[in-house]
Amino acid sequence: FSGFQQVKEEEKSKLVGNVFTNVASSYDIMNDVMSAGLHRLWKERLVGKLSPFAGMKHLDVAGGTGDVAFRIFDAVNSVKRRALRKVDEASIEETQIYVCDINPNMLNVGKQRAAERGLSDNRSLVWVEGDAEALSFDDDSMDGYTIAFGIRNVTHIEKALAEAYRVLKRGGRFLCLELSHVDIPVFKELYDLYSFQVIPNLGELIAGDRDSYQYLVESVRRFPPQERFAKMIGDAGFEKVEYENLVGGVVAIHSAIKL
Amino acid sequence: MYRTAARRLLGAGFTTSRLLRLPKPRPTTTIIPYSYCTSSMESPIGNQSVNPNQSDPTAAREEGHRRDESRKPRAEFQEEQARVLAASLRHVPRLGWTEEAMIAGSREVGVSPSIVGSFSRKEAALVEYFMDECLQLLIDRVDSGLDLQNLIPSERVSKLVRIRLEMQIPYMSKWPQALSIQAHPVNVPTSFKQRAMLVDEIWHTVGDGASDLDWYVKRTVLGGVYSATEIYMLTDDSPAEYRDTWAFLDDRVKDAFDLKKSIQEAKYFAQDIGAGVGKSFQGLMNGVMQTMSTRGGRSSAF
Repeated sequence: FSGFQQVKEEEKSKLVGNVFTNVASSYDIMNDVMSAGLHRLWKERLVGKLSPFAGMKHLDVAGGTGDVAFRIFDAVNSVKRRALRKVDEASIEETQIYVCDINPNMLNVGKQRAAERGLSDNRSLVWVEGDAEALSFDDDSMDGYTIAFGIRNVTHIEKALAEAYRVLKRGGRFLCLELSHVDIPVFKELYDLYSFQVIPNLGELIAGDRDSYQYLVESVRRFPPQERFAKMIGDAGFEKVEYENLVGGVVAIHSAIKL
Repeated sequence: MYRTAARRLLGAGFTTSRLLRLPKPRPTTTIIPYSYCTSSMESPIGNQSVNPNQSDPTAAREEGHRRDESRKPRAEFQEEQARVLAASLRHVPRLGWTEEAMIAGSREVGVSPSIVGSFSRKEAALVEYFMDECLQLLIDRVDSGLDLQNLIPSERVSKLVRIRLEMQIPYMSKWPQALSIQAHPVNVPTSFKQRAMLVDEIWHTVGDGASDLDWYVKRTVLGGVYSATEIYMLTDDSPAEYRDTWAFLDDRVKDAFDLKKSIQEAKYFAQDIGAGVGKSFQGLMNGVMQTMSTRGGRSSAF
């Protein structure tokens, strides 16, 4: 199968499910190899833009392996931060970071990583299985919502955006980190070459799964470009919709506020 | 008619998105928050609303990497931002010009503290909002009948600077932090612009209408006087509310007015010298040109 094939909607979620079941265990390694480690910087930037604060309720969707969630946790709990700023311990206790993923395998990888850091009993991190298009959280309950490299896999992007709008509090922020479209002339050709020639081969070599990575590369091309996605976010009701291109458009961070 | 020349020069990029409430009706191109400028310049997008009740038929707008902004929702965000910042000011004496103060402010207003993450240059947003508020208060004081008639210009300047600096007294314990925030390279353009507008406003109120080179000299000098007094005030614990600071201010303003005279004299002197040198140089050049034209006349035209 390929991302370019016209896939029926019901089947898309099943196919995506299969893709991520297959790639879950080597997801992190493949990320490092494909982006030459840059994905870490992108996630740092995402969390930086979020400006986490003690006592926040945050929802990270499609964040199975916990990359973004751990960064937010560290940002709130870092010793340096607590020393420099006047934060009372009670608010730190209240911080809740929910990691929601539709795929239990990805969540398991995340829980494992939490255990390795000694955080398996920490009440701040909560691992929830759920669908981005139908979240199980209450209205107006979250201060922040992030989705990193997940929204292109959602079958109905508008539904996911509507759900994001629903669960966010007034003043809450929506942040989306996603592979996006490159327009810069020469760089675009190089990027296409890299995507279609190199990445599937890397997938075969490292994860033993060429098809999943072929799907990944093609799904990136199918995802709406920056401006159109920004418009979709605005249509869901968000305000102050902005985006920032990283690496010339290879990755874009869209941000918005619910008012 | 523009209120001051500075507005004409600086108006388009007026700080953190506040519209000044001005007494006289004015042409719409003056004080417009920077964001409005961008959206009005790119009109097809500026008119498009991200309000979910309206639908935009044009799907393809490949205009490259631009921010997607539209007028009405952005105004709401700026109102919210202003409300949060106004509430945050109450927490500044205790928490400083920090994110914590803004988080406390946002909780007061009933908005999630996440909104603070979206303010550009966070703490600077708070400081800049305060500077704008103070300028607006100063303008209001002046408009609501401040008595300056019986004062000579130097005394008028003193009085206006004093009124403005007194607004900072409640925050004096944390003002050094505000100054250091304003001095960050990232924040310097905006803080410089705010101070320039303040200084220009003061000169305009004093009754100065000059628009030649003198204009720059006056603003620069007053800017220096203002900053010096501001810093002096930080370490002044004289009795009776900064009595020493006001004495310092009066002295500096007087010096500045004396300096003005000296600069004027220096200018005339330079002009005289220039005239003298210029005459002899002109004579030399005339001689050279004549020689060249006679030589050129002999060769063929190009």
